[in-house]
Amino acid sequence: MPVNRRKLATLLFALLATAAVAGTAAASHEGTPGVTKKQIVIGGTFPFTGPAALYKTIPAAEAAYYAYVNSKGGVFHRKIKDITLDDQYDPSQTPAKTKQLVEQDHVFAIVGSLGTAPVLSTWDYLNKRKIPQVLVATGDAYWGQCVHKALPLCGGKKKPWTMGWQPNYPGEAKVYAKYILKKKPNAKIGVLYQNDSYGKNYLNGLRTGLGSHKNQIVDAESYNLGDSAQVIAAHEVAMRTHGADTFVIFATPQATIFALVDRTAIGWSPLTLVNNVSANRLFELAAGKNGADLNGIISSTYTASPTTQANLPGMKLAKKIIGATGNQALQQSLAEGDGNIIYGLASAWTFVDALKHAGKHPTRASLMKALRHLNESKKNKNPFIYPGMTVKTSNKRTFPMEQLKLVKWSGGAGGDWHAFGKIYTGIR
Amino acid sequence: MVTAATSRLEGLRGGAGFPLVSLVLVACAAGLLVGSLRSATFAQLTVQGLALGAVYGILALALVLVYRATRVINFAQGELAMATTYIAYQLIQWGLSYWEAFVATLAIALVLGTVLELTLIRPVLHRSGIAAVIVTVGLFVLIDGIVNWIWGGDFKSMPSPFGTKIYHVGGVSIARLYVGMFVVVVVSALLVWVLFRFTKLGLGMRAAALRPAEAALVGVRVDWMLAVGWGLAALLGAVAGLMAEPSQFFLQPTLMQPILVYAFAAAVLGGLDSPAGALIGGLAIGVSLNLVVQYVPAISSELQEPFAFAVIIAVLLLKPSGLFGHQEVRRV
Amino acid sequence: MRSRIATVASLLIAAAVLSVLPFVISDYNVSLVARVGVFFIAVLGLDILTGYTGQISIGHGAFMAIGGYTTAVLSRDHDTNLIVTMLIAFAICFVVGLLVGLPALRLSGAYLALVTFALAVSVPLLPLKWSSFLGGRDGVQTSHEVSNLWLYGVAWAASAVLFVLAWLILRGRVGRAFRAVRDSEIAAVASGIELPVYKTLAFGISAAYAGVAGSLFVLANNGFAAPDEFGVVLSLQILIGAAVAGLGSLWGVLAGAAFVGLLPSVSSSVPVIGSTHGQDVVFGAAVILVMLLLPDGFAGLLTRIRRLARA
Repeated sequence: MPVNRRKLATLLFALLATAAVAGTAAASHEGTPGVTKKQIVIGGTFPFTGPAALYKTIPAAEAAYYAYVNSKGGVFHRKIKDITLDDQYDPSQTPAKTKQLVEQDHVFAIVGSLGTAPVLSTWDYLNKRKIPQVLVATGDAYWGQCVHKALPLCGGKKKPWTMGWQPNYPGEAKVYAKYILKKKPNAKIGVLYQNDSYGKNYLNGLRTGLGSHKNQIVDAESYNLGDSAQVIAAHEVAMRTHGADTFVIFATPQATIFALVDRTAIGWSPLTLVNNVSANRLFELAAGKNGADLNGIISSTYTASPTTQANLPGMKLAKKIIGATGNQALQQSLAEGDGNIIYGLASAWTFVDALKHAGKHPTRASLMKALRHLNESKKNKNPFIYPGMTVKTSNKRTFPMEQLKLVKWSGGAGGDWHAFGKIYTGIR
Repeated sequence: MVTAATSRLEGLRGGAGFPLVSLVLVACAAGLLVGSLRSATFAQLTVQGLALGAVYGILALALVLVYRATRVINFAQGELAMATTYIAYQLIQWGLSYWEAFVATLAIALVLGTVLELTLIRPVLHRSGIAAVIVTVGLFVLIDGIVNWIWGGDFKSMPSPFGTKIYHVGGVSIARLYVGMFVVVVVSALLVWVLFRFTKLGLGMRAAALRPAEAALVGVRVDWMLAVGWGLAALLGAVAGLMAEPSQFFLQPTLMQPILVYAFAAAVLGGLDSPAGALIGGLAIGVSLNLVVQYVPAISSELQEPFAFAVIIAVLLLKPSGLFGHQEVRRV
Repeated sequence: MRSRIATVASLLIAAAVLSVLPFVISDYNVSLVARVGVFFIAVLGLDILTGYTGQISIGHGAFMAIGGYTTAVLSRDHDTNLIVTMLIAFAICFVVGLLVGLPALRLSGAYLALVTFALAVSVPLLPLKWSSFLGGRDGVQTSHEVSNLWLYGVAWAASAVLFVLAWLILRGRVGRAFRAVRDSEIAAVASGIELPVYKTLAFGISAAYAGVAGSLFVLANNGFAAPDEFGVVLSLQILIGAAVAGLGSLWGVLAGAAFVGLLPSVSSSVPVIGSTHGQDVVFGAAVILVMLLLPDGFAGLLTRIRRLARA
C-alpha cells in the first residue's frame, strides 16, 4: 500500500473535524443541575413519530401548560423549560436521548417520559445517578412497587427516583375482570396483548383479577408493535375459532384501532373491553371512520372528558390553555375529545404542584420528597382529573392515582365515551 | 466485478411453458379452495392473504421491471411508493377527489421514476452494480427523510376508496376494500401487460431491456426506454402504495417497509425477471404468510419477515431463477 | 523510506490526538467520539468485504445485533468480563459470517444485496420470538454499565488493534487474493485463487468486525440491547459510511465513521440537520452525491484537492 502525505492529511483532517464537532458544547455546572435563578430545565422522551405517534399530543399539552404557568410568572419566578426528544417509543433510542438530556442539556429531572419499555431502558441509569424520573407516562406496577423494595421485577435494586402518575395497569385489568365476571359470568375471554412487559403485565393483572376463573381466558394472543392490520385480524380470527365471546384488548392505540375495525370486518361481535390507554375518543372515531362497530365497548377513565364534561371549570381552563398555543391541530384534537391532552395537562399540573412544594431552592431530593407527599385535594385540586378523584401520595401510597371509573361507548361512529357506575378505588 | 451474462434468447417469450410449475400452482389453488370450503377461518385468512398478496405482487412487479431494464434492485422502490402515496394525500388535501388524485399521482410517479433513472442511476450504472445499489440505498434514506420532513411522521388519514362495506359469503366476511384492492392491482397489471405486448413503446422497451445492442441498431432509443421502465415501475409502486394505505387505515412513513421485504420475496419466488412470476409470487407470499402464522405454531407473527427471508434463501439456493424466471448463465 | 516514516508519523499523531482528546472535551462529547470509534470498526469491517473483495452487504446491522446481544446476554446471565464478551462476539460473528458467506458464493451483485437486506430485516426480529432468553421488546440490560471514558478507551483501542489487523491482512497474500476476486472473478480463478475460500473468509472477517462493533454499540447505549437498535437503518448507515469513506480505502474509514457516528448527535438546536429527519436527508443526499461525484469517496476528494493545489 503506497503511503504519502495525502494520507496524513486525510487522517488529520478527519481527526480535527471530529474534535471540532465534539468540542462544541461543553459547559460545567454548579449547584443543582438545570436550576438557575430564572429557569428550571426539565426533559423527557416521547413518540413524536413511529407506531405510537398518536400519543404526541401529551407532550404538546404539557408544553402548553408550562407555557401557561410561565406566562403567570413561573414557579418562584423561574420559568419552566421543557426539552422533549423523539424516541419513537423505541427503547433502543431512549437511552441515547436520555443521556443527551442528562449529560448535554443538564436537565433537573426527567419528567413524563412515555412508555413502559422506554422507561425500563433508562431507569437503571437515572436511579444510579439519583436523577428524578418522574410522572412517567406509563402505568406499570414497577413505578410503585420498586420504591421501597428491591423486588426481582425491579432488576434487583430499589428505584426510589422513579415514579409514575396514572393508575397502574394490572390494577386496571383487575377492574375489567370484576366487570366481566359480574356482567357475563360464563364469559369465554380472548385477550390481545402487546408482546412486551406492558402487555404481559396487563394480562397478568387480568388473570389475577379473574382468580379461580382465569381458565375462562380461552385464548391469549400477542401481537408485536408495528404489526399490520392483517396480522391483528388473524389473531382475532384465531380467538373466534377458540370460541371467545369476550374480547379484551391490551394494546397501544394503533393496534387497538386495527383490532376494533378488524373485529367488525370479520363479522365478530363479542363483548369488547379496551384498556384506558387506548380509550381516547379520537382513536375510536378513527376506528369508526374505517367501519368499526363501536357501541357497547367498555373501558375506563381517570381524567375528565373535554366533550361530555365540557362545562367543568377544568375543561374550560384546558380549552383556554390549548387555545393560547395557537396550535390549530391541537385545538381541534381537544375539541374532538383527545383525552391525552387532558392527561398531559393533568400530569403537568402535578409536576408544577410538586415544584411549588419543593422549596424556593429546589434540589433533586426536595423534588422527590414533594412528589412523595402529594395531596391534591380541596383548594389544591387538580382541575383536569375526573371529578371526585384525588391525586395523593405518601410513604405507603406510591401510586399517585388509585381510582378509576368505567366508561361505555355509545352513539356509533360519531359517538362518545360515557362514564357509568361507581368510582373504583384502591387500584393497585 | 462479477459478470453475470444473461441468456436472453428466451426473454421475449414471457413466462409461458412451464408445465411442472403450472401443475404445482393449480394444485395450490385447489388446496386453497378445498381448505376454504372446509373452514371459514381458513377462507377468511385466504381472502385477506390474496388482497395483501396483490399489493406485494404489484410492488414486486415494479422491482422486476427495474431489474429487467437495468439489472439493478431498487431498494428505494417501497419508499418511492410511500412518497407518491403522500403526494396523493396532499392532492386530496388540496381538494381533488380520491380517484382524481389517484390518476394524477400515477402520472407524477411515472415522471418521477423516469427522472430518477436519468439523473441518479444512469451516471453510475456503468461503473459497477454496487454503485447503483448504494445509490438506491441512499434514495431510501433520502426519501424517508424528505417525507418525514414535509408531512411529519404521524398518521394521516385518507378517504377510503371503496367504503367500509362488508360482504358476507357463508361464514366469511369479505371487505369490499379487499375486492377493490385486488381488482385495481389486477387491472393495473393487465394494462402494463397490454402496453408491453401490443404497443410500439412496449416492444421498444422489451427490446431495449433484453437485447440492447440489437435494439439500438434498429433505432430504438435504448437509454430512453430504460428510463421509462423505471417510470413505469414507479407508477406501479404508486398503485401499491395507494392500495396498501387503506388496508392499514392510515398513511405513515413506514407504510411500505414490511411490504418491501415481502415484495422482494415475491419477486425472487417468481423469478427476478418474470413479470407474471412477480404477481403470482406476491399472491403466494400473501396467502402463505397468513396461513403459516395461523396454522404453524412455531411461526408466530414476529417471524413473518424471517419467513419471507427463508423463502428468499431457499429459492436462491434451490432454484435461483425462481418459478418463472430464466436461468442466468454465469461465465466463471 | 519516506513513505514509511509518513505512515508511522500519521499513526502516532492519530494516537496522540485520540489519547489527549478525552481530557480536553466534556464527558458527554467523550461518549460521542467513542461512538465514532464504534462505527469505525463496523465501517472498516464492511470495507474489507465490499471495498476490497467486491461483495456487497446491506446486512451488517444483523451481525452487529448478534455481537451486541452476545455481550448483553453474557453480562446479564454470567457477569462475564465485557472485554471477553467482545472476543466471544468476534468469534461467533466470524462463524456466522462464514455461514452467510456460503450462499453468497452462488450469488452475485443484486441477489447478494437482497439476501443481506433480508438478513438485516430478519435478525433483529428474533429476540421478539425468543423473548424469555433475548428479552423481547423490553431488551437486555448488561449487569454493568461502563463510563464514557472506559468506552472511549476500549473502542479506540479495539479500533487500533483491528485496524492493524486489517492492514496486515490486506497487504499480504490474502489481501491480494481479495482484490483479485474484486477485480475479476474469472481472472482470479484462472490465476489459481480458490474463490470459495476467499469469498467466505472475507464475509467471516467482515462479520467478526461488525460483531465487535455491535458489542461496543450496546455498551455505548448504556449497556442496553433491544431489537430496534439494530434496525435496517443501522445497516444502511454502515453502508453509507463505507461509501462516503470511499470503498477500498482504509484511511477514508475514519471520515466515514465520523460522518455516520456524529451526524445523529448534532444538537437539535442546529437548524435542519438537528432533527432526525433532516439527518436522514443529509445521509441520503450525501451518499448519492458521493456516488455521483466522488467515486472514491472522501479519500478521493483529498487526492483531488491536492492535485488541484499542485496544478
